[in-house]
Amino acid sequence: MAGPVEQHIHRDPALFYWILLPITIVMILTGILRHYLSTLLQTAPKKQALPKLREQRSLLRAQTLRVNHQQISKASFERRKEVFIEAAKEGRYLAEGPESRGKGKPNPLSDPAMMEGMMGMMKGNVAMMVPQSLIMGWINAFFSGYVIMKLPFPLTPQFKQMLQAGVGTRDLDVRWVSSLSWYFLTLFGLQPVYNFILGSNNAASQVAQQMQQQQMGGNPMGGAEDPDKMFQAETENLEVVEHRYILDGVEERLLAKLNAGI
Amino acid sequence: MSTTLLLQPPTTSTPQTTLALAQQAAPFFAAQSTWLSALPYPLNLLINTESQEKWVTHENLFLACLRTGDTASASRALEALTARFGKTNERVLVLWGLYQEATASNQAELEEVMKSYDEILREDPTVFGIRKRRAALLKSVGKPTEAIGDLIKLLDASPTDAEAWAELADLYVAQGAYEQAVYCLEEVLLVTANAWNMHARLGEVLFLSASKTEAAAGERLKTLSESMRRFCRSVELCEGYLRGYYGLKITTDRLLETLEGVRKPQTASADPVTGELAPPSLEAVKKLNQLATAKLAEIVRRGSAGEKGWDGYSPAELSAARDLLDRDTQKIQR
Repeated sequence: MAGPVEQHIHRDPALFYWILLPITIVMILTGILRHYLSTLLQTAPKKQALPKLREQRSLLRAQTLRVNHQQISKASFERRKEVFIEAAKEGRYLAEGPESRGKGKPNPLSDPAMMEGMMGMMKGNVAMMVPQSLIMGWINAFFSGYVIMKLPFPLTPQFKQMLQAGVGTRDLDVRWVSSLSWYFLTLFGLQPVYNFILGSNNAASQVAQQMQQQQMGGNPMGGAEDPDKMFQAETENLEVVEHRYILDGVEERLLAKLNAGI
Repeated sequence: MSTTLLLQPPTTSTPQTTLALAQQAAPFFAAQSTWLSALPYPLNLLINTESQEKWVTHENLFLACLRTGDTASASRALEALTARFGKTNERVLVLWGLYQEATASNQAELEEVMKSYDEILREDPTVFGIRKRRAALLKSVGKPTEAIGDLIKLLDASPTDAEAWAELADLYVAQGAYEQAVYCLEEVLLVTANAWNMHARLGEVLFLSASKTEAAAGERLKTLSESMRRFCRSVELCEGYLRGYYGLKITTDRLLETLEGVRKPQTASADPVTGELAPPSLEAVKKLNQLATAKLAEIVRRGSAGEKGWDGYSPAELSAARDLLDRDTQKIQR
């Protein structure tokens, strides 16, 4: 005898029409529905008040001053640096005015803006979790235990768990796929289909969303840092900058460059 | 005229291209309203013509039509934008303001527009587009000092806005306040460090202040050499920049006069405490002058001939450069 005997299972073609196709179509439709649902539930980012904007942009300006300080002469740089340091020491850039210093960071739960952000995240999660558990229940109730298709290529036994969930037969060849496993495969593998239907910037796949959340990193409950501390840190950074002027020796550089080119 | 022109920001386009753009408005709108979009409600949802390019084109056509005085087409583009983004959208608000400013026929109407700006800003002071429009309107009705005040308030709230700094610098230059203008331009450079045109602009303003100043010769020499170095930096960043070479030539001409007039040997060392650079050596200035002249001549020659890779210079700048070179040769002949 050469090689193991290939298993033959006679499948009712109705399995294909009434289980495989419906699961696939339902999964695609759920993805589309989820996309539009999350688009609907999305709230536009709230506009920031003017003092807050001023605070952020003043900090940004100090940062650009530190990064691009070579562009201006030493006198100009020193002048800007002194003005910034003095104002930062007095807390003049702070959104809530100089009196608000030293209060520490506010509790994120008491801040309505933070609450809104968290609500948005909750909505997204709910829009993902509810359909997922519903469909899972639906499949478990109606289709569990069916072997619905056969893969056209052989696989190692390690895939048994993945492909034959809900079918407790030890000797069944790994190539046979159960309905529950087909559900999981579609759950994770439909991203290209969604990209094709909805465009690449869709919110249909939950896997992609989870990855996005991980990438965002940080703790959403942590809240922003104390702006006063950020200003003090920037002050220190500015103080240690060693000034270098880009116009220093520019004539020689230019002459060397262009003479070499000619 | 290709459609890509419709997608570029129109601020830099010449009158000719603007006119050509504006003439595209009618065919563009005709193409927008086909029988497909006229279908009844549930069916027209199926045809989706939504794209970013479409709205950018609308906006650019609007601006081009306003510039050429085609207010009918402009209002049509504006209506389409308003229907899509709503009346309270910041950009649409700004475009509405522009439209009203452009169609206002007398002073009273302009004041109406100003009042509507004030109204918007009272409700929401963070609409920076409208704040800029307000300053621009003040400038165009001939109240530069008020425009300066407006811009200063804006920049206090948003000090990283390079556009506003540049505008403020222009206003200061028009007022003759060169020192303030230099400060503003330095701010611009802090945000956009490698903008060669801003380096050249700063050089121009420094040159202006050097030619106007009644200060001592030492002060003047310092400003002139700083100006020359700015032009150097600008052509270092962009090798074919006509304005940079033009400025470099003029400043080096002037510097040669000044340096030769001084006669006595310079204290040729940089001051480490204040970080001031030493004035350039006569030799280097001479070389730079030759270089700028040669480069200018090359640009004028190849640019006027329209050689490949050398086109795109504005004819006005080319002729100005030619004049400068001609003046030079005349001097030598005499």
